[in-house]
Amino acid sequence: MREITYLEAVREALSQEMRNNEDVYMLGEDIGVYGGAFGVSRGMIEEFGPERIRNTPISEAAISGTAVGSALTGMRPILELQFSDFITIAMDNLANQAAKIRYMYGGKGTIPMVLRTPSGSGTGAAAQHSQSLEAWAAHIPGLKVVQPSTAGDAKGLLKAAIDDSNPVVFYEHKLLYKTSGEVPEEQYSIPLGKADIKQEGTDATIVATAMMVHKSLEAANLLSEKGIDVEVVDPRTLVPFDTETVVESVKKTGRLLVVHEAVKFGGIGGEIASIVAESEAFDYLDYPIRRLGAAFVPVPYNPVLEKASVPSVEEIVENIQEMVNYQS
Amino acid sequence: MPNEIFMPKLSSTMAEGTVIEWFKDEGETVEIGEPILEIMTDKINIEVEAYHEGILLKTYFGADDVVPVNHVIGYIGEEGEGVPDTAPGLSSEASAEETGGKGSREDNAASSDTGTPEEKAPSKSDRTVSGTRENSLGKVRATPAARALARNEGIDIHDVSGSGRNGRIHKQDVADHTSGSEEHQKTPVNHLATGVRTEKLKGARKTVADRMADSSTSIPHVTIDFEVEMDNLIDLRNRVNQQNPDDKVSFSDLFILITSRALNRHPEINITFENDVIQYHDARNIGLAVAVDKELLVPVIKNTESKSLLSIRDDSKELISKARDGKLIPAEMQGGTFTISNLGMYSIRQFTPIINKPQAGILGIGGTMDRPAVHDGRLINKKAATFSLSFDHRGVNGAPAAAFCNTVKHLAENPVELIL
Repeated sequence: MREITYLEAVREALSQEMRNNEDVYMLGEDIGVYGGAFGVSRGMIEEFGPERIRNTPISEAAISGTAVGSALTGMRPILELQFSDFITIAMDNLANQAAKIRYMYGGKGTIPMVLRTPSGSGTGAAAQHSQSLEAWAAHIPGLKVVQPSTAGDAKGLLKAAIDDSNPVVFYEHKLLYKTSGEVPEEQYSIPLGKADIKQEGTDATIVATAMMVHKSLEAANLLSEKGIDVEVVDPRTLVPFDTETVVESVKKTGRLLVVHEAVKFGGIGGEIASIVAESEAFDYLDYPIRRLGAAFVPVPYNPVLEKASVPSVEEIVENIQEMVNYQS
Repeated sequence: MPNEIFMPKLSSTMAEGTVIEWFKDEGETVEIGEPILEIMTDKINIEVEAYHEGILLKTYFGADDVVPVNHVIGYIGEEGEGVPDTAPGLSSEASAEETGGKGSREDNAASSDTGTPEEKAPSKSDRTVSGTRENSLGKVRATPAARALARNEGIDIHDVSGSGRNGRIHKQDVADHTSGSEEHQKTPVNHLATGVRTEKLKGARKTVADRMADSSTSIPHVTIDFEVEMDNLIDLRNRVNQQNPDDKVSFSDLFILITSRALNRHPEINITFENDVIQYHDARNIGLAVAVDKELLVPVIKNTESKSLLSIRDDSKELISKARDGKLIPAEMQGGTFTISNLGMYSIRQFTPIINKPQAGILGIGGTMDRPAVHDGRLINKKAATFSLSFDHRGVNGAPAAAFCNTVKHLAENPVELIL
């Protein structure tokens, strides 16, 4: 199968859907000729024109409000926020309107919109352009939350997000845009709420999201050289969450390490740990559940500190070794 | 500021200690160096002395409480000084003193945990305090998987010994327990039966039990028996003791002397054996198995190769009396190169002693009995005892072991040669 980058996979999913479905359009800051902050929509305005690739003023409140309104009228808007940190400005429209309307009006109106936005640290963009705020969105009933970690997942999940009749927050990790993977050329859909076992193993389960999937797979490689067989599970969507796959994996391995780039305190890892502790996997746990997440600090600008503030491959290896060998 | 009293770490393997008794009550004055409480480690009972003078402000644990090493067990300070109501967990003084080992690993674990200091600090002390509480409440630390397996197998989790941190029981420990012995499986049934009393091994007894099982299962033991005519030795002892009626020499003292001299002639027996490496020792440090109530203690009489019978007698007397009073320190039970187990005072004909790892030999001595013997073609009555040498066949071969036995027999039957 051909390999393309994560960024190209996102663009392909957008373009293929826009060719088939006239209701789908995009709006965001500088997504036209400039192609968006990371170049995802580069070339699309030439194909689809300025009516369907709409540049907006610098106002996330306006972008999200426009999207909610047009979604209510039957359009399927895809809005782009330049950095997921700016979701703060869009939050009232997201939390109080997009997430609520379908429920409050008894299903008479739906909000079939997708909010695409780059998240995560590692680019030296400092505290206001590097956060991972997915747990905020996951806490609001009515919003679905997607975090694809590979090019193939990004394309299939984006198709499912666009097809969904509910508002979906679609996080694209900045460092993943340049990663490549096998991606089918035709349109396809990966159902929201279906985790993917990125690597099978028997000794410990790592549940990791976004960039941390790749660090966990790298750690799993190092650990396999030491005879430790790690299973890496990528939930792919936080809402809905695939409890069954995670629980079955922990039942098999007896150990759970959750790794995410978001701040550990109050992060989604606490939720995943609780889901497992409350499940039938509890009786299979043979070691305390552990979590790795970012330090409780704003993401530092200093590149050394920035790197140190989020979980590393070495930390994952160290923790799994301790857990498997009962070292502490 | 009040000064901490903490559970001392007295050996590299000590993870926790049991409080036996406090010699002082809260409110009493203590001097530096004064014994304030007695604790039991996995090897030994020992008195803990005060490092500071002042008032014993607080004691957090009472008799039989098990406390992890370096955890605060009390405070000494000036009258009226405030101390925490509940045990604060790990001692700051103790962990600051400790270099490497457990302390540094704790630190590593903490630094790998990328949470905030505010977030980490409470969770760390919560963990240690709850561990202490669990122990003092008689609860068991076990993972859910271990508990589930124990439930399904009908095993009482209290009967399983944990290999994890602070004795935490993992699933494998339960599995090992199940496969380890059929009798273990019957234990829960016994709990229910009337007229049955259970006693869980702990402290020194548990250590001895574990070491016995380890030695017995991991060492290829060979035991060879030989008969020793005891008349001359009995005669010698009587004469010596007539000279010193107030300070008698025991048979054990004589056996130590004989064994020591025999080891001089057979250095290949005076070894320790670990990891495929034989260490030959210049010193003949001879352990003597001593029964104290339910305990088995093995104090070591050091450097017997350069000691006379009377000096061996003095050393063993002192060590045995310390053993009986529970005052042996770990150093007095370490460094042995050979062990003697003397059951001569009982009606034991012969037995198979278990080697005291990492030593490679142990000499068991049975009771002296009247036995028929043939001398010069005539049947005569002799006093004789059966000696049994168990040796580790990995480090010692049969022929040298047999030659050593010959020498022991020869020296015991011809004790005059001991002066050579």
